[in-house]
Amino acid sequence: MTSMVVGSNLLVDLLSGPRPAEWASLREAAEGRLEGRDLPTTKDEAWKYTDLKALAAIPFGAAPRATVDISAYLLPEMVGTRQVFVNGHHAPHASCASAVPAGVRFLPLSTASEACHALGSVKNGLTPELFEDLNSARFEDGAVILVPKNLKVALPLHLLFLTRADAPVAVFPRVLVVLEPGAELELVEEHLGEGTYLSCPVVEVRIGEGAILRHERVQRESPEAFHIGTLKAEVGRHGQYHSRTLSFGARFSRQHPWVRLAEGAEGTLDGLALLDDQQVADTHSFMHHAEPNAVSHQLHKCIVDGKARAIFNGQVRVAPGAQGTDAKQQSRNLLLSETARVDTKPQLEIYADDVKCSHGAAVGQLDPEELFYLESRGLNADDARNLLTYGFAADVLQRVPVASVRRALRQLVMARTQAASLGVLA
Amino acid sequence: MLLIKNLTASINGTPVLKGIDLEIKAGEIHAIMGPNGSGKSTLGKVLAGHPAYEVTGGEVLFEGRDLFSMAADERARAGLFMGFQHPIEVPGVSNSSFLRLAYNKKAEAEGRDELDPLEFDDFIHEKIKLVAMREEFLDRSLNEGFSGGEKKRNEILQMAVLEPKLAILDELDSGLDIDALRVLGDAVNRLQRADRALLIITHFPRILETIQPHYVHVLSGGRILKSAGKELALELEERGYDWVLEASAAGGAR
Ligand SMILES: Nc1ncnc2c1ncn2[C@@H]1O[C@H](COP(=O)(O)OP(=O)(O)OP(=O)(O)O)[C@@H](O)[C@H]1O
Ligand SMILES: [Mg+2]
Repeated sequence: MTSMVVGSNLLVDLLSGPRPAEWASLREAAEGRLEGRDLPTTKDEAWKYTDLKALAAIPFGAAPRATVDISAYLLPEMVGTRQVFVNGHHAPHASCASAVPAGVRFLPLSTASEACHALGSVKNGLTPELFEDLNSARFEDGAVILVPKNLKVALPLHLLFLTRADAPVAVFPRVLVVLEPGAELELVEEHLGEGTYLSCPVVEVRIGEGAILRHERVQRESPEAFHIGTLKAEVGRHGQYHSRTLSFGARFSRQHPWVRLAEGAEGTLDGLALLDDQQVADTHSFMHHAEPNAVSHQLHKCIVDGKARAIFNGQVRVAPGAQGTDAKQQSRNLLLSETARVDTKPQLEIYADDVKCSHGAAVGQLDPEELFYLESRGLNADDARNLLTYGFAADVLQRVPVASVRRALRQLVMARTQAASLGVLA
Repeated sequence: MLLIKNLTASINGTPVLKGIDLEIKAGEIHAIMGPNGSGKSTLGKVLAGHPAYEVTGGEVLFEGRDLFSMAADERARAGLFMGFQHPIEVPGVSNSSFLRLAYNKKAEAEGRDELDPLEFDDFIHEKIKLVAMREEFLDRSLNEGFSGGEKKRNEILQMAVLEPKLAILDELDSGLDIDALRVLGDAVNRLQRADRALLIITHFPRILETIQPHYVHVLSGGRILKSAGKELALELEERGYDWVLEASAAGGAR
């Protein structure tokens, strides 16, 4: 490999392993940019609330292959449409793609040579984040999904990334989703695990003209894990990209979603983070209205308890000439303890004049009027509080289209909001 | 059923109720009318146990029990119901789940069997017929995005599910179209029984043609200035409130 002058042990460790053979030019470019770089510190504006010292102190090694029982994680509608990755490696025996319709490519990257050129092709013109480059330099495997023109895939596809480590490991899942014009797909991407590890996924999405992708992203990593994810979605004319990122796990998580909307396209970046103890969840999103008449929605909700901390920075850029843009952004945060903390900031850059951009941010406690309303119907104070907390979170799930996915996500939310005993979902 | 003696209450240190006396017996229907800001909603919320209001004096007995010794949720489970002038929206909680939860909490308190989702499904379908509500409203979040009239319909649905002993309905009629007013008025009448009672807060005599009260009270400035039979509603409609206020000031309206 190239010699590198990097300051932190973390980067040296992570890059000291052999470079996988494929995608050499992608990896070389990433390594080139990494040269001389160090982990961001709180002096970097984009990282000022998120201290990576704890991460830098952990000696992460390469992740070994492992076999695990995944039966507990299967979703009923996706039994035959799943690809499973354990410790960054494809797990063929845990995967099953028998119900994937003909014409759809749903493969591990390591066997999908046709994706060679497409990988790394979603470029946003920004210098890649360090963690994105780390992924490009060292990813082992991941998934490629190609849906041909006008094919509407009836069953949702499930991507499961499981990490289970006795000693600290780093994994770099890589996903490429390409929807040709008029195609439609529902994708569930899930990250979970046990032990101390760093997961740095990069997901690239290309949506052709008039194509629609609905993308549920579930982060329920282990409580000791670090999760730093990058998402780049390029949406073609009149295409639609709707994603919801649900952050439950990890002691530290950071999401970098970036969406570029072409003319008449529609983009949704919804988020929900449920945080407790010392958890930190940071979202830095970028919604790019590059062309006229695109519509975007962002609803980002956090429930923060204990000494946890949520950060949301929502950048919206309306490019010159992107007239008729309609961009909505809402950041709503519920504080459940005195020591919980939220920092939320919209960042609008508007270079066109005929646009509708609205944004709002709220940080607060449960509304006493809502509590009283529920109590006046006979719910005791605890039940009322739990039901409202659940409702605050479940609100984000209302538009999840697949019933089984919606139910599974609601159950996750219920378990985390002490609302399970209320049996409101049974 | 309900006995209110010299009740005074304030909000943020401002006295709003200044000595209310009222007795409602089982089987009775009472109406309260009065100018804006006179304290009608305040009376309802104080009875329902809203935490923002401070009871500064007097006493209220509900079925012989000291009402103020009970928390809001206990009052509800004991059979007190308040239909709000402005019902609250609760996103993320489906209407039907909420109704089942409220029903089961009350059933539990009364030692009756709770209903599982399937049983509740049958039960609630009878109830939505009573208030002529479309089924899709059961799956929507509680009151979220409901129109003013739809919220009122949902309040009466909740009343029909909980079957309270005493229902206080605060401006049920405001925001309702003519058909909805008739449907919900009929529904309330059908829920009324000899062992139940109603307190209707309204500005308009029309609803009192459907839900016919035994007594009409005029509340103004935090006091009940006049009480009479249902004919008082029409008289108020014709003459306004001034004559009641003047007569009261002269010491004669009572
Ligand atoms: N939070 C508050 N702080 C201060 N004053 C309040 C508050 N809430 C209510 N009030 C006052 O209490 C008085 C009584 O209000 P209430 O809502 O009971 O009137 P109402 O008779 O129901 O009027 P309407 O016919 O308009 O519904 C009003 O003067 C109102 O401004
Ligand atoms: Mg009122």
